[in-house]
Amino acid sequence: MKFHFFHLMPYPDLPSDFRETHRSVWVDVPSSLFDPAVGHRAYGDYLDELEHADAVGFDGICVNEHHQNAYGMMPSPNLMAAALARRTERAKLVLMGNSVALYNPPTRVAEEMAMLDVISGGRLVAGFPVGTPQDTIYAYGQSPVTLREKYREGVGLILRAWREPDVFSFNGKYTQLRYVNVWPRPIQKPHPPVWVPGGASVETWDWCVENDFLYANLSYFGYKEAQKVLDGFWKTVERHKVEPNPYRAGFLQFVAIADSDAEAERLYAEHARYFYRNCLHVYGGYVNPPGYTSIATIRAGIESQVARIVSRAGARAELGNLTWKDFIERGYIVAGSPDTVVDRLNEMADRLRVGHLMVLLHFGNMPKETTLYNTTRFATEIIPRLRHRYSEWEDRWWPREPVAARPEPAPVPSLA
Amino acid sequence: MLKNDAIRLKSGRKWSVHSGGSGPDLLWLHGLRGVDAADPLLLTLAAGHRVIAPVAPGFNDLDELAEIDDIHELALDYDDLLDGLGLHGVPIVGHSFGAMMAAEIAAHFPQRATRLVLLSPVGLWNDADPVADLFGLPVAEMDRMLWHDAAACEAHAARLAAASSDQGQVEAMIAATRSIAAVTKFVWPIPDKGLRRRLRRITAPTLVVFGAADEFVPARYAADFAAGIAHCETAILEGAGHMVPYEKTETVTALIERFLKTA
Repeated sequence: MKFHFFHLMPYPDLPSDFRETHRSVWVDVPSSLFDPAVGHRAYGDYLDELEHADAVGFDGICVNEHHQNAYGMMPSPNLMAAALARRTERAKLVLMGNSVALYNPPTRVAEEMAMLDVISGGRLVAGFPVGTPQDTIYAYGQSPVTLREKYREGVGLILRAWREPDVFSFNGKYTQLRYVNVWPRPIQKPHPPVWVPGGASVETWDWCVENDFLYANLSYFGYKEAQKVLDGFWKTVERHKVEPNPYRAGFLQFVAIADSDAEAERLYAEHARYFYRNCLHVYGGYVNPPGYTSIATIRAGIESQVARIVSRAGARAELGNLTWKDFIERGYIVAGSPDTVVDRLNEMADRLRVGHLMVLLHFGNMPKETTLYNTTRFATEIIPRLRHRYSEWEDRWWPREPVAARPEPAPVPSLA
Repeated sequence: MLKNDAIRLKSGRKWSVHSGGSGPDLLWLHGLRGVDAADPLLLTLAAGHRVIAPVAPGFNDLDELAEIDDIHELALDYDDLLDGLGLHGVPIVGHSFGAMMAAEIAAHFPQRATRLVLLSPVGLWNDADPVADLFGLPVAEMDRMLWHDAAACEAHAARLAAASSDQGQVEAMIAATRSIAAVTKFVWPIPDKGLRRRLRRITAPTLVVFGAADEFVPARYAADFAAGIAHCETAILEGAGHMVPYEKTETVTALIERFLKTA
């Protein structure tokens, strides 16, 4: 198995009565709640935490894209990845990723990702999410009925721009370009591995398998809730008669480690409540616009996790009152002593068959010390005990060995 | 009851068209909730007209929209349809999104519309009084914005439920979702796709009707339409919202009849 440190970069200082006094953490969250001084400290801490994950041995460090969102201060994950490319040496940069339909022309994504791959010495994982409705439809004005087609056309253009050695013209429905000629070119040939972070749409599963992209289910509700989704993905793999390689799939899980289960509650409960109370407080009108979810997916009875929680009034009100016990029992958070955590993650791996585990070790408003503590313990006490899983499979969705480090410069000639 | 025909045009496009009644032709372009064979407004109009009511592309099948990129291509599709139906100059009455299409058809092809009745039309944008974001509401809450008269809303829902008893609840929800999705392709995120600049091309005498309590498109947009259309009357009906044709069916029918007769 491989292990990746994922950061959402939440704004850490929402008022304690945020749920009661505001309607949404996303799309129309008031700018008056953003204090740039708090933001400055948070960006610094969060980048430190990602760099720490590299230093203690995580395979990858993950950043993602959200817009007009107080739990994700990364409208441009590429800026964060650029900062990390220069401050890390070993961990792969898992960019989870760019919502392709929002970039005009999409070759901008091909260019920036190529820059990141070259700067980092070939450490980039290229993530292409469709993007949530909150980001794409409401913040960025895309049409829900054309979003997926535009996204797929854009991904096709980006991959072609990386693969084709010669200048070409592109006559698409959403993008027309006379000269496509991405410069620089990625180090990784033909291009960085492609990951598709997604909720649960049946078309996405088919598309990932047909194109040999990794499918990553990014959930805030833990491995128990994700069973139906991953089962759907693996059934798709079976239907396409391709090998059921666990490294085709990724999953995101909150994890909290301490000496004992009781100590975990003391250290992490407040920050978990901040996340579920405030960060998932999304107005119901923004989660499932007609047309965003295909009719096929509606018929399949699969809703996105946020849509499902938010659209049910009861479940939505409940987010504000969940206790630590609820988080643990439902599997939203895997927490406790290292033994407990290893047991739960083994259970997760048995159930979901995911070769790439992304972990959220920073919750909501967790201070840097606690995050570094949680991160170090995960790297030193959990990873070694799970590392062997799936070792019989080849991971074809991961960067090869990066290029050699740059040579040290020769001494500057003396001016004397 | 109206009858329903599947019409295949030379272009290959299939349309579902309701029609019925006798008298001069009247083209009805439905609003956000589509149209059915027992639409009470159409049954009233059918007493004095041959009513022709096509189902807008996407409302039955979202895949129909794949080849219709924008409002201009949609207007071309309607032009093809009117050729297919042999309607070269016809009074066009539309509601909401259908009223926007009626205005677009009359602006793109002025000779197509002999008279134009726009009931709570979408299609313009005024910074001073923005159109409300219906599409940023949960689907279950949309009716609250669209209807002023709760009793009329319930009666309408009950009629549709009775008519579609053979459909499951899921299918009804899917149909409602599909209708709104189809509309967003042409009105999201801002509904004015250039109509304000094109209104000047409309030559047909036009009547614009709003419910005074329309919470989706404020009634003041009547003035915006009137400002752009050469021959335009307006009527604002008290005690009605965006669903004014179904909240004040008798009044609206009388307004339409009177307007179509004053040639």
